[in-house]
Amino acid sequence: MLRYIIRRLLYAVPILLGVTLVTFLLFYAASSPEQMARRNLSAKNPSKAQISAWLVQHGYDKPLSQQFTRHMSELLLLRFGKSDATGEPIWARLRTGVGPSSLVAALVFFGSVIVSVTLALLVAYFRGTYLDAWGVFICVLLMSITYIVYIIGSQFVLGRLLKYLPMAGYEHGIGAVKFALLPMAVGIISSLGGDVRFYRTVVLEEMNQDYVRTARAKGVSEQAVLFRHVLKNALIPILTKTILSLPFIMMGSILLESFFGIPGLGTMTVDAINSQDFSVVRAMAFLGTILYILGSVLTDICYALVDPRVRLE
Amino acid sequence: MLSGFLVAAARFSALLTVLTLLLAVLSGCSNNPYPAGSTSRSILYRDIPDDPKTLDPSVAYTTLESQILYLICPSYFRYHYLKRNPFVLELTLGAEQPQRTQYIYETTQNGRKVRLQGEMWTFRIKKGLRFQDDPCFPRGKGREIKAADFIYSFRRMADPAVPCPVLSYFEGKVIGLHGYAEHNRRRAVRRLPADYKRHVEGFQLDPHDPYVFKLVLNRPYPQLRYLMAMPFTSPIPHEATERYRAGFARHPVGCGPYLLAEYSPKLKIVLKKNPNRNPEFYPTNGMPGDREAGLLEDAGKQLPFADEIVFQVLKEGLTAWNMFLQGYLDCGAGFGATNVSQVMTRQGTLSREMKDRGVSLDRSTTPIIWYLSFNMRDPVVGGYTSQKRKLRQAISLAVNKQAFIDLSLQGLGSPAEFLIPPGVAGYDPNYRNPYSQYNAFKAQELLAQAGYPNGISRETGERLTICFDNYATTPGGRQIVGQISKMLESIGIHVESRTYRYAVWQDKIYSHDYQFTLSGWTADYPDPENFALLLYGPNSENKGPNESAYDSPKYNRLFKQMQGMDDGPERQQIIRCLRDVAVKDCPWIYLYYDHTLMLSNTWVSNAKSHPLACDYAKYYRVNGPLRARMQACWNKPNYAPLIAGAVVLVAGMLPAVRLVRKRRNRRIRVGSGGTT
Repeated sequence: MLRYIIRRLLYAVPILLGVTLVTFLLFYAASSPEQMARRNLSAKNPSKAQISAWLVQHGYDKPLSQQFTRHMSELLLLRFGKSDATGEPIWARLRTGVGPSSLVAALVFFGSVIVSVTLALLVAYFRGTYLDAWGVFICVLLMSITYIVYIIGSQFVLGRLLKYLPMAGYEHGIGAVKFALLPMAVGIISSLGGDVRFYRTVVLEEMNQDYVRTARAKGVSEQAVLFRHVLKNALIPILTKTILSLPFIMMGSILLESFFGIPGLGTMTVDAINSQDFSVVRAMAFLGTILYILGSVLTDICYALVDPRVRLE
Repeated sequence: MLSGFLVAAARFSALLTVLTLLLAVLSGCSNNPYPAGSTSRSILYRDIPDDPKTLDPSVAYTTLESQILYLICPSYFRYHYLKRNPFVLELTLGAEQPQRTQYIYETTQNGRKVRLQGEMWTFRIKKGLRFQDDPCFPRGKGREIKAADFIYSFRRMADPAVPCPVLSYFEGKVIGLHGYAEHNRRRAVRRLPADYKRHVEGFQLDPHDPYVFKLVLNRPYPQLRYLMAMPFTSPIPHEATERYRAGFARHPVGCGPYLLAEYSPKLKIVLKKNPNRNPEFYPTNGMPGDREAGLLEDAGKQLPFADEIVFQVLKEGLTAWNMFLQGYLDCGAGFGATNVSQVMTRQGTLSREMKDRGVSLDRSTTPIIWYLSFNMRDPVVGGYTSQKRKLRQAISLAVNKQAFIDLSLQGLGSPAEFLIPPGVAGYDPNYRNPYSQYNAFKAQELLAQAGYPNGISRETGERLTICFDNYATTPGGRQIVGQISKMLESIGIHVESRTYRYAVWQDKIYSHDYQFTLSGWTADYPDPENFALLLYGPNSENKGPNESAYDSPKYNRLFKQMQGMDDGPERQQIIRCLRDVAVKDCPWIYLYYDHTLMLSNTWVSNAKSHPLACDYAKYYRVNGPLRARMQACWNKPNYAPLIAGAVVLVAGMLPAVRLVRKRRNRRIRVGSGGTT
């Protein structure tokens, strides 16, 4: 397995280089360094001298080849430098933002997996009853509602109408939980429709297998059938769906953080694109790629762990 | 079997419920986002839409940055909090009004040395002013402020590592500053730091008086006094910039009423009263009606009133608005065109809902002008011939400004007649621009005279097409572009919208590579020069602020004449002449002046918005105990729907449980008797 992991990680190198190159080229295709300077300087009409000084200060006065070499070497050494827009060290921003993003992400991730799988098992168990039919109907309904409605709706209902939870804000330490509950609820509820339907199908497919009938015939309890046999065999598609969503969750949710005032990383990339902050964009694209690659390697490892037929060679 | 599963599911659900309840208990089951007891204290809670890009007083420029920085880094002057029309400057760190004297200086023109007449401004600062306590000073104690600290902040403007947005205002006027800035730029190319020791003739200190500094200008520049009210000219301790370097942008050190106590990126900025603050007092006079509105109840009392100010970062206006309604934000939160009907009646007064909550509203016109600009270098809409002029005048007459304001801005604006907005000297409330009064009939008449009867070109027989270059990527922006296009189409002109990203649009506008666009300008200071420069010919070169590339010799001459004059009847007369020239040539369609609305909850007093001064928070008084009581009253949790929901859910599940149990308990017997 170790050899497999090393090989997969080595495969990642050209992918990383490719993504970095594409990011670099796309950014330059989209805007010239002068436009970046103009966007990042505070003045209404920055003078040519101010623009040149900005380009020199940020290293954009060099030939493109030199810029690219510097760009690559800095990224590979994980030296992200400072934001073009604010001059703030990017690592410092990542350090302060990763905690809140991860907390919300972890709660949403585990919460939605647990709740979705449990509900899917329940709906599958009650198959053929009105609960099953209503469950599927509600799932479709939940899938049809846009994410922003969940956010605004939950803020209105839980924050303003019922007054249970704060609408926005954050506190470092244990106090963070109070602020993460509402985003967690939104994250879970919004993913419920699609996830429950998908897991229900997977569970139902497994429940019709011969081994389930055999287990029941042997007198295994329904609880054991569902949790020990069905769930275990349904894990492969569940893992594929969940682990691949990890990088997106780690990078934070733009809308959740934006509406709930969570000081995470979610809006960092979008803000950087809007303000043409190339340093931040390249750092986030690079980290996003690494997380995606790690996610896919982790999925493969989990396959091998849950399914004895899968061997990583 | 069934019971086993149900027991497991029940156990799991119970676990989840317990966990949720535990978390809810931990959170105190309240929607209060602040630590317990804090809202009863004298803390002002405000929202900001994002982190400030910088808090370096030499760089910060936006309103967002200014409303924090003005409280930390005051300048020589400040704006009178209550007086308007015109705005009045009063001394803050200055001990007396600056003295202006003639100054003869030597310069080289065409290779010959000549003596020219300039102007020297002598500033005297108050004695005993101290910087806030900060680790950058010996033993952490803020030292006394001297005139040299002001000169240091002027020198910083010419440091290429400090992109000062107002450098251009000083560079061509302060003697020797341009050469000094060039010298530093050359050093920057060689990766050398700026030279803070080089002699600059325009910056002078009095060797006998450490509280006096002089600025020497190559020509009269009365607007300098306004620049002396901005944080760019606030004294900066060199100890702080040397210690924090780039981090100074997140760690300003000043002598204002507040100091930066906490900076949590993307979360909040907390300001606390500065123990070393310069003594300041609430104004004792204001505008008519201010006393009746209770704005003079604190007259003469020492500032600031609030012990702390918390700026909560809330990117979404809707969230801020909801928090304002909950009472967790004190004023001015998330209010815009989308919720205007909730706040105001059609007559512009406060709605009943807001009145019942005790909310107060302050509405004022901001010195911001929005205009539609023609590219005067464009072969179709540009030019100075009678026909081209008539074409632009026709288009101007086709724009129904009031309809635009009502529909696109929900009434939050007033129609503009000329580029000088209300509150700025030179604004004439009685003036009516003949090409600004919506008249479709007259517009068509002028269009025909311009060679386009019903919008069809007499020469080519084709419909006149105008390209509307814009950066309207949002639905709101597209609505604005759509509405203006429709107005032009109503007189037979075909409008083609060309949408770009903002940076590309900006590039095109300043390169005069466009035909027709919508743009705006915010005053840096309330002087007509700050607006009239937008049509000054030479300002169209080098990507200057003259976007329309309007270049009228007469306008240019009048502008030059009024630029260095102090306000007075003679200057007003020149402004009127200048206005008539620009109105006739019609390089712009003056669209509207922005309105600012300021909402504040009932426990906030002294709230009055100031469109230029951003230090207003120091005047606000907060009644903490009243706020805490109101918040408790407005935010009592309601558990009944939760319990009802749980009961309905359980009741709804029971028949299904029975059904499945029945199905499970069915016995299947296979035999001659069939199935039972």
